[in-house]
Amino acid sequence: MLPGFPFERRSVVVNGRRMSYIDEGKGRPVLLLSGNPTWGFLYRDFLEPLRNAGYRAIAPDWIGCGYSDHPRVDAALTFAHHIADLVSLIDQLELRQFTIVGQDWGGPQGVGAALQRIERLRALVLMNTWLFTGLVSKFHASPKPWTTWHAPLIGQFFMKRHKVLSQHGPSATTVRGLSEAEARAYHHVFDEPDSDHVVLTWPRTIPMREGDRGWEDMHRIEKRLPELSSTPVLLLWAPGDEVFPIEFGNRLKELLPHARGPIAFDRARHFLQDDRGPDLAAAMVEFLNELH
Amino acid sequence: MNFISPPPEGLSRLRADPLLWEQELDVRPEFAEAVERACGKRSGRVYFRSGHDHLYAIELADLGRGRPSMAMVFGFWDRWEPRPPEHEIDLDLLALCDWLARIGGLNPADVAKVAQKAGIVPVWPEGSVLRTPDERFASLPGFEHSAKYVEIEGLRMAYVEEGVGDPILMLHGEPTWGYLYRRMIPTLAKLGRVIVPDLIGFGRSDKPVARYAYSYKSHVRWMRKFVAALDLNRVTLVVQDWGGLIGLRVLAQVPERFARLVAMNTGLPVGNAPGEGFLKWRRFALGVETLDVAALMRRAVKRLTEAEAEAYQAPFPTKQHQTGALVFPGLVPVREEDAGVYENRAAVERLKALDLPVLLPWATGDPITAAGERELRRIFKNVAAPLPIEGAGHFIQDDAGEVVAEHIKKWMEETSV
Repeated sequence: MLPGFPFERRSVVVNGRRMSYIDEGKGRPVLLLSGNPTWGFLYRDFLEPLRNAGYRAIAPDWIGCGYSDHPRVDAALTFAHHIADLVSLIDQLELRQFTIVGQDWGGPQGVGAALQRIERLRALVLMNTWLFTGLVSKFHASPKPWTTWHAPLIGQFFMKRHKVLSQHGPSATTVRGLSEAEARAYHHVFDEPDSDHVVLTWPRTIPMREGDRGWEDMHRIEKRLPELSSTPVLLLWAPGDEVFPIEFGNRLKELLPHARGPIAFDRARHFLQDDRGPDLAAAMVEFLNELH
Repeated sequence: MNFISPPPEGLSRLRADPLLWEQELDVRPEFAEAVERACGKRSGRVYFRSGHDHLYAIELADLGRGRPSMAMVFGFWDRWEPRPPEHEIDLDLLALCDWLARIGGLNPADVAKVAQKAGIVPVWPEGSVLRTPDERFASLPGFEHSAKYVEIEGLRMAYVEEGVGDPILMLHGEPTWGYLYRRMIPTLAKLGRVIVPDLIGFGRSDKPVARYAYSYKSHVRWMRKFVAALDLNRVTLVVQDWGGLIGLRVLAQVPERFARLVAMNTGLPVGNAPGEGFLKWRRFALGVETLDVAALMRRAVKRLTEAEAEAYQAPFPTKQHQTGALVFPGLVPVREEDAGVYENRAAVERLKALDLPVLLPWATGDPITAAGERELRRIFKNVAAPLPIEGAGHFIQDDAGEVVAEHIKKWMEETSV
């Protein structure tokens, strides 16, 4: 029913809520982490190449997203909750020598969980994301998000009553042109009224100024980045993304100077996995294969 | 924002519908504090009425952070009735967002821009409003008035206008249109500026196809906005059937615009059991797929020619065009709990205080509104002597329009205002 997504859905209970995930192949685990407002479907072009290259590709849906439970309470969808949920998945699946692949919120939440299980972390692949405070993109600073989309009450009108993001995510920024069926695959998980709390809790967690919810947690992750100095890191970047433009990739390179990249991928915007999936998967497999 | 205090008995009749649920109002503390200042409270409800007369509330909760932390916006609908059209709610919520942006130090223009960019255009959706083709009105025996139009809430409302002077506003009811007044217009146009609108869903006015577009409340609102759009003052209001149910409510809302009232075979139901005549009509009307208005009018008005009967059918080329007429009988409040009862009771209290001259020409051959004359006589202070019109039925304007017009003319001359 979902185009290009014939994979079996599995689930575990994390922190009392059901987390759905795809688990394909055998070998060293690669956790494929999406962000707002997507789910594992975003990685459909990565699962087979990774499996065929001898890796175990695991694409979970964050609580609130995809086929995982969608709690109606914002307090269940905090930065800390998401990280604890992923830690629980890593523990329950007994993942060792795992690689974190993160884009958007998949970055800080994935790295946040990896830092809790750093002894078992093998490598990091980061795409159009951030792990630090103090740099605010033009997109997030522009009036649109904070005076409308995310503003208290006003945001509820746009994001919840009209589902401006949950029904117009990747489809609104696609470069290659999503088919109608692909757009539905992203959106249908938020069809039910009130099922898309996460779409608002996430942007409201973006640390833009001190005191913002999300500031402290992000700051803690940033402070611990030096612990990753011996972890191989690959930065893949779509400079065409206005949410996390290349300055964010350059800043990550400053914080993780041993990282490879950022390697730029044109013809792609924020959801680069969708725009350039096979190319990114190939670059990732090449990087992973080089690790001894 | 003009906050109001609805009485508990009014509120208890309504259904509170949570429209926006904000669990993180203090995600921006300064915004939460601005809302607290504007609402005058940190927790509890404030109520306000929208441009659609809908009642809304903002409910705030203080979770101990020294400011409101949660907020819910409720819409209040008639207890057992489905929501009004969603674009009306969107318009009301956008007005609320505009207010929130202003008090919260945001730019309201951003809200409007983003709404537009997101494709949130709160108008009647494509195809949701029908317009009867003009050629259906090519031949209207005895009614050679060209239609004028005014736009009310995105709907084209038609009316005819004849004569000059103080307005004489004449409102038709179910299932007719302005054509019903053709025998009265010539006489009254000599006395003043006769204005005969077609209700939304009727005559040459636009016809939403969704049944929930039509409510007692929406008809009252549309008519009040019509009177305001034409800026009518010193009005002699002439009503019959639903024209009275609507017109009397408008009169109670903006009495300063009205000088006289002529009510014929109508009423202002307040939830008392209606007569068997009306219930029989209602059972019939709510049981049919479509109303054969021509046949119905021929049966009701003995002297009607075939061409005249067809003129009553003209506005309804299809069943969809007839939605307004098909739902009307079900909108008449007949039980204590029905939508409109509370508002009508409140209207009665306001009408009791008016001392405008009232004339009640009443057809004696109408089983549907037999009790109405007595009830209206009890409400108004300044009512002329009873004026039974023998030989006329429910559609008194058609059965005896010329006679009634002469009575009104004479009475108006006696009650100069």
